Amino acid sequence: MTFRTPSRRLFLGGALTTATAGLILPRRALAQEAVNFQLSWLHSVQFGGSYIAQNKGYWSDAGLEVALQPGGPNAPVEPPVVAGTALVGISAADYTAAAVNQGAPFKIIGVAMQKNPFAIASLAENPVNSPADLVGKKIGMALANMPVLEALCSINDVDIAEIEVVPTQYDPAPLVQGQVDCLLCWATDLPVAMEIQGVESVTMLLADHGYAVHSQTYIATEDSLANRRDQLVALMKGEVMGWQDYHADPAAAAALTVEMFPDSGLDLATQELQAERQVPLMFSDLTEAEGFGWFTDETVAANVETLALLDKPVSADLWDRSILEEVHG
Amino acid sequence: MSGALALRGARLPGGGLIGSVLAVAVWEIVARLTAQSFFIAAPSAILLHMTEHAGLLWRALGVTLWAAFRGFVWGNLAGVLMALLVVLLPRGERLISTLALLVFCLPLVATGPILRVLYGPGDGPQVTLAALAVYYTTFLPVLVGLRAAPQGWFDLVRSYGRGRMVALREVRLPAALPYLVAGLQIAAPAAFLGAMVGEFTGAERGLGVLTVRALRALDLPATWSIAVITSAVSVLAFAAVGWAGRRLDLAPPQVLLAAPGQARRSAWQGPGEALLALGVTLALWKGTMELFALPRFFAKRPEDVWAYMVSGPGAEAHRAKLFAAMGETLAFAAPGYLAGLALGAGLAVALTLAPRAAAFTMPVAIALRSIPIVATAPLIVWALGRGAAGTIAVVAVMIFFPTLVACLHGLARTPRAVLDLFEVYAAGRWRRMLGAQLPAMLPAFFASARMAIPAAILAVTTAEWLATGRGVGALMATVASTSDYGMLWSAIALIGLAAVLAHGAVVALERVVLARTNAEQLAR
Amino acid sequence: MPDEPRPDIRLTGVSKSFGAPGREVPAVAPLDLRLAGGSMTALVGPSGCGKSTLLRLIAGLERPSSGEIRIGDESPDDLRKRAALSVAFQDAALLPWRTVAGNVALGRSLARRPRDAGAVSELIELVGLSGFEAQRPAELSGGMRQRAAIARAMASAPELLLLDEPFGALDELTRDRLNAELPPLWEAHGATSVLVTHSVAEAVRLSDRILVLTPRPARIAADIAVDLPRPRDAVVLGSEAFRETCGQVSAALREGQAPGRLAAQ
Ligand SMILES: Nc1ncnc2c1ncn2[C@@H]1O[C@H](COP(=O)(O)OP(=O)(O)OP(=O)(O)O)[C@@H](O)[C@H]1O
Ligand SMILES: [Mg+2]
Repeated sequence: MTFRTPSRRLFLGGALTTATAGLILPRRALAQEAVNFQLSWLHSVQFGGSYIAQNKGYWSDAGLEVALQPGGPNAPVEPPVVAGTALVGISAADYTAAAVNQGAPFKIIGVAMQKNPFAIASLAENPVNSPADLVGKKIGMALANMPVLEALCSINDVDIAEIEVVPTQYDPAPLVQGQVDCLLCWATDLPVAMEIQGVESVTMLLADHGYAVHSQTYIATEDSLANRRDQLVALMKGEVMGWQDYHADPAAAAALTVEMFPDSGLDLATQELQAERQVPLMFSDLTEAEGFGWFTDETVAANVETLALLDKPVSADLWDRSILEEVHG
Repeated sequence: MSGALALRGARLPGGGLIGSVLAVAVWEIVARLTAQSFFIAAPSAILLHMTEHAGLLWRALGVTLWAAFRGFVWGNLAGVLMALLVVLLPRGERLISTLALLVFCLPLVATGPILRVLYGPGDGPQVTLAALAVYYTTFLPVLVGLRAAPQGWFDLVRSYGRGRMVALREVRLPAALPYLVAGLQIAAPAAFLGAMVGEFTGAERGLGVLTVRALRALDLPATWSIAVITSAVSVLAFAAVGWAGRRLDLAPPQVLLAAPGQARRSAWQGPGEALLALGVTLALWKGTMELFALPRFFAKRPEDVWAYMVSGPGAEAHRAKLFAAMGETLAFAAPGYLAGLALGAGLAVALTLAPRAAAFTMPVAIALRSIPIVATAPLIVWALGRGAAGTIAVVAVMIFFPTLVACLHGLARTPRAVLDLFEVYAAGRWRRMLGAQLPAMLPAFFASARMAIPAAILAVTTAEWLATGRGVGALMATVASTSDYGMLWSAIALIGLAAVLAHGAVVALERVVLARTNAEQLAR
Repeated sequence: MPDEPRPDIRLTGVSKSFGAPGREVPAVAPLDLRLAGGSMTALVGPSGCGKSTLLRLIAGLERPSSGEIRIGDESPDDLRKRAALSVAFQDAALLPWRTVAGNVALGRSLARRPRDAGAVSELIELVGLSGFEAQRPAELSGGMRQRAAIARAMASAPELLLLDEPFGALDELTRDRLNAELPPLWEAHGATSVLVTHSVAEAVRLSDRILVLTPRPARIAADIAVDLPRPRDAVVLGSEAFRETCGQVSAALREGQAPGRLAAQ
């Protein structure tokens, strides 16, 4: 059991020099450059486009060998990206904003989820259809998401003191068991699980009630933006192509996911449902017009506004469109 | 030796068969009756899930088991080496135990990302976390064992002019063997759990991955299948270690006579050692982070914590927030700690008095210890609520098992001659327990009381994170998700400090008690 | 080896107290003593008077509270460092995880003597434990354990042999046999020996000199030379001189002990 860092560092140093060399030499002449891509959760169709990119060779064609690193409950995305062990990480604008406020040199270089997937899930007999319905209810949520609820309340003039917060983790059981009236969760996640288990639920997307926070954003360090642009462009290009394929056939993406990760305990029906449910969050008129991952000054401004409510003040230059411009250009 | 009998009880005897069948039947009925509430999976559903996903579960088990095994080996090796270091360098005891305690106190929210960055992809973090989960609970019992020899045996070695190394080889190591078995038995489920939790730091496969997935997917049969598998593995490992231990343990417990040590500690020695421990801790903390060039963003150095808590902007607000959270945590940790210790020691006594009950109790106890708390906490919370009772129960569950095992072994170390004496007077079981076995158990009990300190803190912070949403546990979870690593490391530092202080108090009590009952533990 | 004369043991002002400062319990009063090299000295005295303590002082297992012990120009520690002494402890101190043979062999290996299975089994035979080589101490009787301890003490062929009531738990017959068979061995090797015993007859039979100690703290109540020819066979043991010496020792013991008082803790 030896710590691998020294050799890893050496190796990264090597990757860096080859990257700089790549600016001068024609890229095709280069051998595959290995980079890590840090996902934000365990493997699932949530990252279906990336699997397609890898499976169809969109990255290897561009001379990039991408290793997809799964996340987990105790695997924050920011540290490996800051440390340089991962070139790009999947984060969300609010997490990135918090990290930047703590001194992390991040830029958001692409937005996979135009609409934030946060939702309030409730049962049909006691539904939450609008933020006002939250009053007097017990909401189950991970404590880390407290600021999300606070922002929703303040945008919609709901007194948060009227809502009882019950800390829950990961699982929809407290809602089904009646410990809580509703859950703060991802629309593509717990409601899908409940539906597969035969429990009908009502979901209210926060994004439909003024909560504008980009999710599943691609983050990279300023250093990478300056020194590893080629790799970033190649990686994002593969992503864009992968997600376009995904859009064309989400079910195929779900099938690919289950096939690629046979040891992850994925269930095809769940993956198909999730794949379908995340389409409206990721693809919009905007991406139709400008391409996958795009963001405009307006969407950024809306994010800055919501993030201020979340007590994560950021300026618009947290977003950097230059990589996307190269990809789509 | 009824203590040994109780340990042996972990093997289900034939008589338990009817009971087991009955229990499964009741389980099935209850599960079917409560199916709508998604709490309990029926045995039939579990069996079905296991057969349908046999391939997946086997592969996951293989992955997790392999990481757990390596962690088990490394962690126990580290624990034993540290104990050896302490007996060879008695002056370093304070320092070594403090460092061992502090490392054990590091919460997953802090170690997870660091290990992932250090190792990169692969199962390095799983192995390391499994090792970290076991070394401390091996270190303490082995240290007790290395000292569990009468003065006469050391005199023998000395009379030939041989030194510490020979005493170690000829006397201490063989004497420590039964205690090592206790440590390894405690370690078996802990290593497995550590490897599973290690997968929470980002892994592609393994039972930990499946657990997270199953919990999220409300897949009860899957959750319970994994719980059954982890329990079975842990029970088997526990029994295997016990079996091997009985093969190796050739020496019946001896009367360990040792003259009380002359306490020749000068007034400045205590504070001096404490200062040294503090200095070394800070140096190691900073040194490790610098050595691996861990970014300051998430690997805060001591001076960063100092700035955050004392000298920097907003320090006062940070302090107020952290101290308030710490107060809440301690309010639950203390009763949970005492409850867990009492439960563990009490159960050990009960099982020694009524060894038959062990056949049923030990597997349940092992299972409780080996299923990840993220899976058991919901059940406990459902049964006892999200308030004090639930939290205290989570803490008690986390610490009663090591206490139980250590105390059972301690009880089994009652010298045969002393037991014979009680036999001569036909003394009752209780008389024997009070007069002979409990005193023999004391060193093991105090070792558990020491082990339980960091375990209680970890348990209460976990419960806070999962259930109550208060205290330092919730604070650490929140700040970790918002990259407020300054607060995270301040919380870790404060937790470490609290653990060291509590440890100091237990050691002081231990010295007073053992000086009367088990002087061999203090003599050297 | 035995050719070279063994150095004398000299104790000058040696005393020993136990306990915390201010509440010391004197176990051995200041003693001045010289034990001739190669001789066998017996220590007799009431229980708890300090015999074992004196033996442990000579072995270097306890530090004297005052005074100094020299063996020739060496200290007890020097002797121990050379593995030139061995002790048969009052409570046997056999390691429970070793067999009888293993415990006896330990006496050689601790003294850094090369392995010698022949020597070990010879000693085991001598103390009458043949057939029990593979037994563990827990499977032996008290007297058998003592015999194993004696064999272990002799296994290293020490220059200084310290025996603390080695025959305490033996029946009359076995004791008698060992009393007869062991001394020639010690003599052949020329070891200086100190023997603690409660049996007056045994002290007289085995030793060249008997020190009768007073109750705690140990002082020398009487110093009796045993002028009997060796080997001390049945003839010697039946002689008038033998009985006389025994009487002398018994009288000294009685005298040393104040009436009605035991050496209390
Ligand atoms: N380690 C110790 N600490 C305190 N007191 C001791 C210690 N060892 C011996 N003593 C005391 O010293 C005195 C002499 O003890 P010692 O063992 O030398 O007696 P002894 O003459 O060998 O008795 P016995 O014939 O019963 O074996 C006793 O009063 C005993 O209590
Ligand atoms: Mg004695």
